[in-house]
Amino acid sequence: MSVTSTMQVAVSEAFARRDRAARALAEDSGRIARACQDMAVRFRHGGKLIVFGNGGGGTDAAHIAVEFMHPVIVGKRALPAIALSNDAATVSGVGNRDGLAETFAHQVHRWADPADMALGISRDGRCENVLRGLEMAKTLGLFTFALAGGDGGPLARSPAADHVLTVASDDPAVVKEIHVTAYHVLWELVHVFYEQPGPPGDATPGGTSGEAAR
Amino acid sequence: MGRLEGPPAEGVRELYPFLYEGRADLEAVLAEACRSTEEKAAEIVRLRWQVAEASADALMECAGEMALRFASGGRLFAFGNGGSSTDAQEVATAFLHPPCGLSLPALSLTSDVAVVTALSNDVGFDVVFARQLAALGRHGDIAVGLSTSGGSANVVRAFEEATRRGMLTIGLAGDEGGRLAELDLLDYLFVIPSSSVHRIQEAQTTVYHVLWELTQHALGAVPAP
Repeated sequence: MSVTSTMQVAVSEAFARRDRAARALAEDSGRIARACQDMAVRFRHGGKLIVFGNGGGGTDAAHIAVEFMHPVIVGKRALPAIALSNDAATVSGVGNRDGLAETFAHQVHRWADPADMALGISRDGRCENVLRGLEMAKTLGLFTFALAGGDGGPLARSPAADHVLTVASDDPAVVKEIHVTAYHVLWELVHVFYEQPGPPGDATPGGTSGEAAR
Repeated sequence: MGRLEGPPAEGVRELYPFLYEGRADLEAVLAEACRSTEEKAAEIVRLRWQVAEASADALMECAGEMALRFASGGRLFAFGNGGSSTDAQEVATAFLHPPCGLSLPALSLTSDVAVVTALSNDVGFDVVFARQLAALGRHGDIAVGLSTSGGSANVVRAFEEATRRGMLTIGLAGDEGGRLAELDLLDYLFVIPSSSVHRIQEAQTTVYHVLWELTQHALGAVPAP
């Protein structure tokens, strides 16, 4: 085959690979809605969202934080969120002294309040520091959510995550793309539940909702 | 579906019965939330195929040009604001530290907070990317700028500087392309035909991932997905 025709095959194959994974997101609509409902309650209690991931997953953490902090839709309330992976000094400092596995757990330990939410991102479900971060969050009473990919790895099997959304693809680029849609939907639905009429979130933060689904 | 271990959140439920007691309107909200997710998943699938149809040839050609630049020692610089700054970072790390294939030199101009805040404070936010390209960029390099609106002034200024320096210029925009579409100086502009910032960003993610994959193909380093 000529270079052009192999490129044509490559481009069609690349788009087809995304199609399968993107359609599957609809099957998770129920668990996404329940997670957003839980998160809206936490935000009403004054909770904040703590997000973390490695490599490209770190860019998703930053994207999620800015999504909540500075909504693209005018008139939507800014909700508190921080991306742990943005702090290169602390991540590399903890990594150097205590090992990379301890980075997010260390930051969660210092930053988390019981009403908070932790969201860990790992495109293959095999990031040890993401798992450790979620375990620390769970111990401290946070709501925990994981965005994973592939077969979900140890992350999907761990009791540390209340909710796990696993994109069934072994291509990390495709996993990322479905994650982006998932967290855009997550942000939007959190606001839908947050805006439902009801008493203000002025009471003592409680435990998790028990609406676990994975 | 597994249930959580540990105490149920009776406290939360008592405080927020409207969110948990199965009131008809809450059930309706949940159903609406599910329907909304399904709609959005279908929408982005449609949008990706639209992009594939409109841009497949340009993507192949653009990746070929990028491969030529990399093969001749060119480097890639990526830039954008807000969510697009995280995409710029993703582009840089995708080329520099890929899951497979060749590692290629790439830098996100949004990652150095000292430089970004110094330029913003001393000169103005419009020059944060252009000034970095003036210092770091050279003939044969690649500039990738992302803007959902196509109207970010600092992205436009960066492309003007990149063109002056003889860099390959690649823009990613949304809707109708905004100012980037009017510039008439970009080598390639991929416009995502949607009015939703979220869907535009999702399709742009696909565009730069496909560009990365095709560049690897063109360099003979076929990645195994």
